[in-house]
Amino acid sequence: MVISASDVRRSYGETVALDGVSLDIDAGEIYGLIGPNGAGKTTLVRALTGTTDPEGEVRLLGEDPKRADPQRLGLLPQEFSPPARLTAREVVSYYGGLYDESRDVGETLVDVGLTDSGNTYYEDLSGGQKRRVCVATTLVNDPDVLFLDEPTTGIDPQGRRDVWGLIDALADAGATVLVTTHYMEEAERLCDRVGLLAGGRLVAEGPPAALVAEHGGRPRVEIRADDSDHAREVLAAADYAFVPDERRLVVDDVAPDEVGDVATTLTDAGVAYDGLLWRQPDLEEVYLQLTGQTVGASGTPREVGDE
Amino acid sequence: MSRAGRIRSETVAAGKAFLRRRTAVFFTFFFPAIIILIFGALVNTAGGTGGLFTEPPGYYVPGYLAVVVLFTPLSRVGSEVARHREDNRFEKLATTPLRRWEWLAAQTLVNVGIIGVAAAGILLLVVAVTGASIVFSPLLVPFVVLGVALFCGLGAILGSLSDSSDGVIAASNGIALPLLFLSETFVPQSLLPEWLPLWVSPLTYFSRGVRAVAYEPPDTLATSQVPGGLGVAESNLLVLAALTLAFFVVGAVTLPRTD
Repeated sequence: MVISASDVRRSYGETVALDGVSLDIDAGEIYGLIGPNGAGKTTLVRALTGTTDPEGEVRLLGEDPKRADPQRLGLLPQEFSPPARLTAREVVSYYGGLYDESRDVGETLVDVGLTDSGNTYYEDLSGGQKRRVCVATTLVNDPDVLFLDEPTTGIDPQGRRDVWGLIDALADAGATVLVTTHYMEEAERLCDRVGLLAGGRLVAEGPPAALVAEHGGRPRVEIRADDSDHAREVLAAADYAFVPDERRLVVDDVAPDEVGDVATTLTDAGVAYDGLLWRQPDLEEVYLQLTGQTVGASGTPREVGDE
Repeated sequence: MSRAGRIRSETVAAGKAFLRRRTAVFFTFFFPAIIILIFGALVNTAGGTGGLFTEPPGYYVPGYLAVVVLFTPLSRVGSEVARHREDNRFEKLATTPLRRWEWLAAQTLVNVGIIGVAAAGILLLVVAVTGASIVFSPLLVPFVVLGVALFCGLGAILGSLSDSSDGVIAASNGIALPLLFLSETFVPQSLLPEWLPLWVSPLTYFSRGVRAVAYEPPDTLATSQVPGGLGVAESNLLVLAALTLAFFVVGAVTLPRTD
């Protein structure tokens, strides 16, 4: 195992950040930690990299994390900012200079999509460009193990795809990557396995597709109607089942070719609706099923039923 | 990349980051200059009948140098530690080959360079403004280097113990101001209560040593001997070196590595 943790616990005063987390990550694997803000993702990254002192056992490259060979590691902390009055090129060169061997700075900047901004001060870059520079500082030593704590937060969609491509390429070359995110589609697209963190506990772990198949439920249709109570009555009378969700009207177990039947049922009963949204279950559904929370695009946890 | 390479990379980055903060650079040089102008030209220090600022102008050279040797590293390194912590830079550096003492050594080199230039300017300005007679001894160099390194170490300790940049500034001012006036810099020991333990201040050894090296009192020998055969300058240099080592080691050890 490249990374392993056994019964890792960490508290800050009364607040329990990690509550008995265990995981193993193989070489070349892309492992995603999913959860909303406060779930324990950053604390777990710190425990695995030796920048916090947890209870339990952690091994990184077969060593205590503080003894692991730093030449082989790359870390992008959450909310990390390098010196503001260095150019993008100088920032990457600075971090590259800390290692025995480093990649070409220009190539690294090109890899993260910063072809024209190398000579711009970090403080003058856009939010997305800043995050790309930070990602570049993590890649500049060509590490064997990468820890990326929310690497794409604040990056535009194209930039996000660029970073995904980079991570894919690194894993293809044999690197092991642990990435945290609250973007479910990112985890599904990128990760070989994911771990779902909630309240400091790892509530489920596995390949995204397997988790969705096991916990995500069936395809469903969300109905947007002015009078959703009436719509619910009509559909219930037609023996449709519903996904428990107080904020939305969601009909459970609707195959793609059955969407028309739902529409016809509503129309025949005179129920007006604005839209029918059919979707496959995804990791968001898995998280909801297992924790009773949704993650939300901002990473803010939301209990089902909250307005 | 060797250890020297890592320190060089950190030094270059820290140096550029500082030199591009124009306000900080300006006040690093302006602060001692204004002190010299106030004490040298307005208060007009001169040999006289006793009391404050009545020694010959050359007597106050250690005080003028102490303004930069003490204040700049203390506040600059302290603030840098706080900034690194707030921006999660120590968290990242903890997973690189850069050791904590190497980081502090790089910050010290940057400060030595900046303060070395400022100290040379101060000496020239003191001569120009006050007409002081100064001995430009090579021994001034190790005093300035060790003094800067010592207060870089103390700045690292302050930065590590403070919870914010504001806290560092307040703490460094609260420590530096008493030290500046209670270390035989501007106020002779004879004007202070006998019970005041000036030997506690590390700046006292800088002050005594620099004065022994650079100032020739009208009626005494500048390089008087202390028991054991060492001159005043050399003995104070040794004490300063030992204190510098201690402060540097403690400063490096206290730098944050974990949360």
